[in-house]
Amino acid sequence: MRLASLQRWMQAVVVHPGTTEQALRSRGAAAHLKPGRLESVLLPSKTLSAAQRVAIYQEMYPLRMRDALASDYPGLEHFLGNRFWDFVTAYTNAHPSKGYTLNRLGDHVPAFLGRQKTLKPRAFLKDLARLELAITESFDSPEAGVLQAADLEAIQPDRLGQTRLVTVPSLRLIDLEWNAADYLDTVRDENHAHPKPRRSPSFMAVVRRHYSVYRFPVSEAAFLVLSDLKENATIATVVKRAMSRRGARRAAPEDFADWFRRWTAEGLFSGVRDKRKRP
Amino acid sequence: MTSTPQGNRFGFKDLGIGIGLRTVHYPHILSTWPKIDWFEVLSENYMDTGGRPAYVLDQVAERYPVALHGVSMSIGSTDPLNREHLLKLKALADRTKAHWVSDHLCWTGVLGRNTHDLLPMPYTEEALTHTIKRAKQVSEILERPLVLENPSSYVEFKGSSMPEWVFLARLAEEADCGLLLDVNNVYVSSFNHRFDPTEYIHAIPADRVVQYHLAGHTNKGTHIIDTHSDHAIDEVWKLYALSCKRTGLVATLYEWDDDIPAFDVVLAEARKAEAFRKAVA
Repeated sequence: MRLASLQRWMQAVVVHPGTTEQALRSRGAAAHLKPGRLESVLLPSKTLSAAQRVAIYQEMYPLRMRDALASDYPGLEHFLGNRFWDFVTAYTNAHPSKGYTLNRLGDHVPAFLGRQKTLKPRAFLKDLARLELAITESFDSPEAGVLQAADLEAIQPDRLGQTRLVTVPSLRLIDLEWNAADYLDTVRDENHAHPKPRRSPSFMAVVRRHYSVYRFPVSEAAFLVLSDLKENATIATVVKRAMSRRGARRAAPEDFADWFRRWTAEGLFSGVRDKRKRP
Repeated sequence: MTSTPQGNRFGFKDLGIGIGLRTVHYPHILSTWPKIDWFEVLSENYMDTGGRPAYVLDQVAERYPVALHGVSMSIGSTDPLNREHLLKLKALADRTKAHWVSDHLCWTGVLGRNTHDLLPMPYTEEALTHTIKRAKQVSEILERPLVLENPSSYVEFKGSSMPEWVFLARLAEEADCGLLLDVNNVYVSSFNHRFDPTEYIHAIPADRVVQYHLAGHTNKGTHIIDTHSDHAIDEVWKLYALSCKRTGLVATLYEWDDDIPAFDVVLAEARKAEAFRKAVA
């Protein structure tokens, strides 16, 4: 068998989620080697048949996938329990790793969960996964300097409106419909009564500081202001939009100074940019 | 405790005795800056992160010699080489002033997929020609000699026309590669495929060996799995001693990747190599 065909056959067997017998008979494998012809390609050893030998690789594949996904989604693993295995199998079939690192294996988990009809409550699981993905992304994002309060105070009042606050690359903003953040808080505490999934809208900021990832709740109005800042709007635009919203989404004039001071202290900004100075 | 450069043809230094840089040891390393000759860094774990791993790596690379060791080059795959991966690897090597860059003689996937396993090559002329061509391309992109590690494996291909050690030696000579000789892998494969591991050691071109790997494994009775989860057994140390006599002093690294114990336990296991190194110093 030529090298290309051999590798396609072996990969089809190794990644197959069923038994080795099923893997050898699968369409992907059988396209390159008839199931009964295994020993024309692989030798048995004195202690193992050819099928038992290739099964060693086949058994290790899902373990690696599970470890990678559990590392990025501890809350999801905790909630699903024994069902996590089925999730790993279904997910990696739909989204096999195509990169050189397993760090990106779980990038499609929130969207995948949103399409699942058997995993319930689906909206809660999707929120939990979105939050965990945001934490992973924040952890791996590029490092940046942090704006100091003095830098903010040094902006001339007549230039403030045209200034943009540059958010740090690690900042992620997540709006949750369900109590996924509360659930994630309890995952590592085995004695804690884990909250049951329930609708409970919240807004979270996730950021990395001193190489650790933190998350904290913000109001809906603050969340929208942060979202505008993250999208590079000037402070004048951000304020105008915030004050034109209605209800809980609306910001009061006195909110801004307190928010900007607090967010600067939280390390949410890396610098300021004056609109006039943009290339 | 870095020794005088040894006789490998690339002029790579004998860095002494090192261990792999692992996340669970970060706090210990950052707080004590332990006495150790060098660290091996898993390349792919540091290519795409700007977070704590990158910070720790930069701190370590400022203080210790490092070498990069990868798992995703897939040098034997029939898929095209991943240039993005190789360019990031080169950038990481430049940033950390890595003494050399190694990966495995294996393939990890085809059809755009990565199984993240070190899958075995058939030892055929076709596979050899294919791998030589790619190894040369990689060395050109990296602008340094590629160093390849012998794999541990659990299957043998009926179509193989030469033993692994002949394939590896020819590959190294014809692609002008360095070798990372994993003596535990030699032992594991010799058990699984019933060959004489000393024949393997004697067939390796000694002047191409720039690094050793040592590790523990899991013996299942019918076969051995290369788990990197334990102390090395005596037979592995004997193979190391045998190979050291041929190569002289070569940078040596102990791998512990599963059930990783405290830093000092891993270091103590690595330092068992001292006795064998003294014998050939």
